Amino acid sequence: MRKIMAAVPQPARSKRTINPVTVLLALAAFLLLYHALVNPIGIFPEAWNLHLRDPLDVFKKWVIVANRDGHWMFAFFFQPIKSSVDFFIRRAEDFLFWLPWPVIVTFVFVLANKIGKLPLALITSLSLLAMGLLGLWNESMKTLALMVTAVIISLFIGIPLGIWTARNDRAERFLRPILDAMQTMPAFVYLIPVVLFFGIARVPSVIATIIYAIPPVVRLTNLGIRRVPEDVLEAARAFGSTPRQILTKVQIPQALPSIMAGVNQTIMMALSIVVIAALIGGGGLGDVVLKSLRRLQVGAALEGGLAIVFMAVLLDRLSFAFSQIEHVSVERFQGFRLLPEKWSDRAWAQAVEKPIAKIYAASAKAEQKLAGALSRLLPRYRDWWQGHSYLLTSLLVLLVLLGVSFALGWEEFPQSWNLSLNQPVDKVVKWAQVNLYQIGDTFIGTGPFSDFVSLYLLRPLRIFLTDWLAWPIVMLLTAAIAWAVSGWRLALYSFFSLMLIGWLGLWEEAADTLSQVLIAVLLSVLIGVPLGIWSARSDRAERGLRPILDFLQTIPTFVYLVPVIMLFNLGRVPGIMASVLYALSPTIRLTSLGIRQVDEAAVEASEAFGCTPAQTLRHVQIPLALPSIMLGINQTIMMVLAMVIIAGLVGAAGLGFEVVDAMQNNKMGASVEAGLAIVMMAIVLDRITQAWAERQAKAANI
Amino acid sequence: MRNVKISCRHVCKIFGPTPEHIAETIKPETAVSEILENTGHVVAVRDVTFDVYEGEIFCVMGLSGSGKSTLVRCLSRLIEPTRGEIVINGEDVVAMNKEQLRDLRRHKMSMVFQRFGLFSHRRVIDNIAYGLEVQGIGRAERLQKAQEILELVGLQGWAQHYPHELSGGMQQRVGLARALAVDPEILLCDEPFSALDPLIRRDMQNELIHLQKNLQKTMVFITHDFLEALKLGDRIAIMKDGEVVQIGTPEEIVAHPVNDYVYEFTKDVPRVKVLTAGSVMRPIRQKEDLIGKAVAMDTTLEQLIPLTADSDGAIPVMDAEQNLVGIVNRRRVMMALATVEEEEA
Ligand SMILES: Nc1ncnc2c1ncn2[C@@H]1O[C@H](COP(=O)(O)OP(=O)(O)OP(=O)(O)O)[C@@H](O)[C@H]1O
Ligand SMILES: [Mg+2]
Repeated sequence: MRKIMAAVPQPARSKRTINPVTVLLALAAFLLLYHALVNPIGIFPEAWNLHLRDPLDVFKKWVIVANRDGHWMFAFFFQPIKSSVDFFIRRAEDFLFWLPWPVIVTFVFVLANKIGKLPLALITSLSLLAMGLLGLWNESMKTLALMVTAVIISLFIGIPLGIWTARNDRAERFLRPILDAMQTMPAFVYLIPVVLFFGIARVPSVIATIIYAIPPVVRLTNLGIRRVPEDVLEAARAFGSTPRQILTKVQIPQALPSIMAGVNQTIMMALSIVVIAALIGGGGLGDVVLKSLRRLQVGAALEGGLAIVFMAVLLDRLSFAFSQIEHVSVERFQGFRLLPEKWSDRAWAQAVEKPIAKIYAASAKAEQKLAGALSRLLPRYRDWWQGHSYLLTSLLVLLVLLGVSFALGWEEFPQSWNLSLNQPVDKVVKWAQVNLYQIGDTFIGTGPFSDFVSLYLLRPLRIFLTDWLAWPIVMLLTAAIAWAVSGWRLALYSFFSLMLIGWLGLWEEAADTLSQVLIAVLLSVLIGVPLGIWSARSDRAERGLRPILDFLQTIPTFVYLVPVIMLFNLGRVPGIMASVLYALSPTIRLTSLGIRQVDEAAVEASEAFGCTPAQTLRHVQIPLALPSIMLGINQTIMMVLAMVIIAGLVGAAGLGFEVVDAMQNNKMGASVEAGLAIVMMAIVLDRITQAWAERQAKAANI
Repeated sequence: MRNVKISCRHVCKIFGPTPEHIAETIKPETAVSEILENTGHVVAVRDVTFDVYEGEIFCVMGLSGSGKSTLVRCLSRLIEPTRGEIVINGEDVVAMNKEQLRDLRRHKMSMVFQRFGLFSHRRVIDNIAYGLEVQGIGRAERLQKAQEILELVGLQGWAQHYPHELSGGMQQRVGLARALAVDPEILLCDEPFSALDPLIRRDMQNELIHLQKNLQKTMVFITHDFLEALKLGDRIAIMKDGEVVQIGTPEEIVAHPVNDYVYEFTKDVPRVKVLTAGSVMRPIRQKEDLIGKAVAMDTTLEQLIPLTADSDGAIPVMDAEQNLVGIVNRRRVMMALATVEEEEA
C-alpha cells in the first residue's frame, strides 16, 4: 500500500518563493481578462511574419538554375546520386517487368516455403497473386521496384553504420541522438527537402525513403552486435582470431536475428513512405490511391489500398520469418503443416492435407533425385549438392517456368482474371451514403455523427483556441504546463516553438490542426483506454485484439483513408477518423501492459481490504498503470501528428492541407513553412507528454 | 630436470584507472581489501611466480575471486598483465606484438572455458573446426581433422547438431574438442567442469586423464574444487587473494599444508588414498628393527595400514633404484591419518 500512497504526488510547497507556473498562469489570466473585457487581442500580427517562404523560393529558383548550369554541387554531388539511384530503380523495374508473373509468384512461394513452411508460403504468394487479381500487377511491381531499391541502399548504408557504432562508442554517442530525432519526425518531413534538391518523381521518393527507413536497421545491428556474449567473444579471441575474423565469423552471425528484425522494421517503414511518396510523383500503388481519392472513386481507391495491404503483409511476414530462423540441425517437423495439429483427425482436414502431403513427398523425392544425379555427374561437390538440394530444385523449377512462360506468352498478368471491386464497391458506397448517412429518422448514422463532431467538438474547440484564447494566452498556458511538468527549459522551448509557428504566419492553421489533433487524441483515449483495460482483464480479449492491432500497425498510413472516405466523404471528420484508427493501437497496448504489470501484491492487498474489482481497478491498478498509459497516449499523439498531412489529403483543413496543397502546386516555400509548423507542434506535444509520463513514473516509483 | 614450458615471474594484474602506479607503490604486506578501500583498485593477481613443466597438468586452485581466471588469461594475454614476466617455450609473451600473439594463440595454446563459450550459430563440427578455420586451413582438411577430434572426445554422430541441442557435458566435450583440434602444445582450462553436475564431472575428469595419457599436453587447469585438483594435477598451486600461497604435488600439500587456509582444503581429503609411504616415512635410525618386505615410495596409506597394523616394527621404504630411503611404522601411519605433524621424539 505504501506504493499507492507514493503514487499521489505531493508537491513541496514553500509559501515564500513565487512559483513561476503561477506567474505564467496569472499573466495568462490577466491577458484573458484584457482580451475579453477591454480590447480583443486579435490575430497574430501579420507584420511579424518572417516570410520564410520568400528566401526558400529564391533558393529553389537558384537550385533550378544551378542545376541547369552545372554548378559543382549539382554536377558532382546531387546529379551523380540522382542518376545512380535512377539507374538502380530502372534496372529493378525492368527486371521485375521482364520476369513473367508466374515466376515471381513461384519464387516467393519457394522462398517462403523454405524459411517458414507452407502457411507462410501460401500467405505470401496469395498476397502477391491478389495484387494481380485486383488488376494492379504493374503498379505493384513499380512499388516493389522502389522498395527493393530503397531497402537495398538503406541496408548497404545502415548495416555498416550499425557495425561501426557497435565497435566505436564515440560513434554511437554521436549517432544516437540523430537517430532518435529521425524516428520522431513524421515521414513526410523528409519529402520536402529532397524535393528541393532532387526535384520530383521517383528518385527523391527513394532518397526520402532511405533517410526515413534507415534508423531501425542501424539501431538493431548495433544492439545485436553489442549483445553478443562476452564469453563467446573471448573464446574467439583465445583462438587467435583477427578483429575482422571476429566480426565476420562471430559477431555478425550471432547478431543476425537482431539485424533481421531491424531489416523487417526498415522494410515496413520504407513501405509506408514509398506509398506516401505518390505525393511527389513516386508512382505505383500510392498513386492509384491518391488519384482515386482525388476523384472520389472509392472503389478504385479501395483496390489500391487493398493491394498496399497485401504488399505490407507479404513484406512483413517474409522479412519477419527471416528474423525468426532458428539454428536446428534436423527440422523438428518434416514436410508441411497447414492446419492446426488438433484438427488432424477430422475427415475434411485429412482430405485437404493428404494431396498436399503427396506433393511434398514427391518434391522431396525429386530433390533427392536431382542431388543424386548431380553427385554422380560431379562427385567432387557431392556434399554441396546434397546440402543444397532445395536450392537446386527451386532454381530448376524457376528456370523451367521461365522458359514455359515465355513460350506460352504468360508475361503479363492476364487482364481477364481481374476481380474488379470497382463497381460493386462504388455501389456499396453509394448505398452506404444514402442509407447509413442517416438511418431512418433517428440521429444514428454517419451524417449526424459527422455533424456532431464538426459542430459540437471541432468548431467550438477551434473557436476557443483562436477567439476566446488569443494567441499569447495559448502560448503562456503551454509554457505554464511545460514548466509544471518539466522546468524552465521546456517552458522556454515550447513558448518559442509556438511563437515560431506564429512567425511563419500559420497560427490560424495551426490552431485548426491542433483542434483536430486534440479531438482525435481524445477519441483515441476514450476508445483505447477502455479497450486496453478490457484486454488487461480478459485473456480472451487480449488474444482477440492482438492480431488486429498487429495488423493495424503494419498497414501504411495512407490506406486508412480509404474506408473513412467511404463513410464520411471529405473534410475534417474523415481525417480524424483515419487518425483514430491508425493511432489507437499504442494506447490499447500500453494500457493493457501497464495494468497487467501492476504488482500482484498491490492488487492482492487491495482485495484483502475488501475492494470490489471496480474499486481495485480505480484506486490501485489504473493509478499504478498511469505512467504506461501516458506513454501510450504520447505515442498516440505522435501518430496522430504523423497523420496530419495524410488527413490533409481528404480535405482536413489546417497545416496538413497547406503542405499537400503547396506540394501539389509546386510551392516549395509554403510547403516547408507548413511542414516546419507541424514539426514544431509535434516536438512541443511530444516533449510535454513525455515529461509528464516520466513524472508519473517517478511519482509511482516505477 | 624436465623442460620448463611456461614460466611466470612476479606476475601482477591490477584493475583500476592507474594500475601501473598502484603496482609500484603498494607494499607487499598491505591486504587486498585495504588497497581496494584506499585506492579503488582491485589487485586480482599479485606477484605470482611458478613454472609449468612440459607434459604436466598444473592445477591452480583457490576460492572464488582469488584471481585464478585472471591469472590464466594473463598467460595468453587475453588480459594484459600489469607487471611481470611470462615466458612460454623460451619466448617472452609480454613483449610479443599483435601478430606474434595471434600466432601463439593459433598454434601453441588453446583454451577451454567454464561457460563453454561455444558459437551457437555454428554446428558442432564447425565449432570444433573454428581454430583451424581462423588459421586459414581449407574446408575439407579442417573438417576431416575436426571429425577425428570429434570421435576422440566421443561425440560421433553429433557433428551436424547445434550446441544448444546438446547436454552440458556434451557441450563441454565440444569445447574440449575445439581446443584440441588445433593440436596445441599448451591447454588452458578455466574451470571447465564447474558447470557440470557431479556425475558428469567425474566422467569428464576420467576422460581427461585418459586423453592426457596419450596426448601428453602441458595443461594449466583452473578449479575451485580441491579434490579435482588432487585427482588431475601433477602439481597444484593454491591461490588466495591473488597470491600463490603454496605449490606442490598433491601429497606434499595434503601432508604439509603451509597454513590454515590450505589446511582447510585438505581436511576433507580421503588421506588414506592420497598420502604415500614417501610422504609419511622418516629417515632410518641406527639399530632399527626392520621387518617384512620393503615397500615402494608411492604405496598409499590404504595399502600400508594392513602391513603395519599387526607389527610394531619398521617397514623399509625403497625408491625406484631400490635404495633404502626410510621407514614407516604404525605410529607414522596413525599420526599421518590424524593430520598432526610429528614433533621429533
Ligand atoms: N575486468 C575486471 N575489472 C575489475 N575487477 C575485476 C575484473 N575481472 C576480475 N576482477 C576482479 O578480480 C578478482 C579476481 O577475479 P577472477 O575472475 O580472476 O577470480 P576467480 O578466482 O576466477 O573466481 P571464480 O572462481 O569466481 O571464477 C575478483 O575480485 C574480481 O572482482
Ligand atoms: Mg574464474
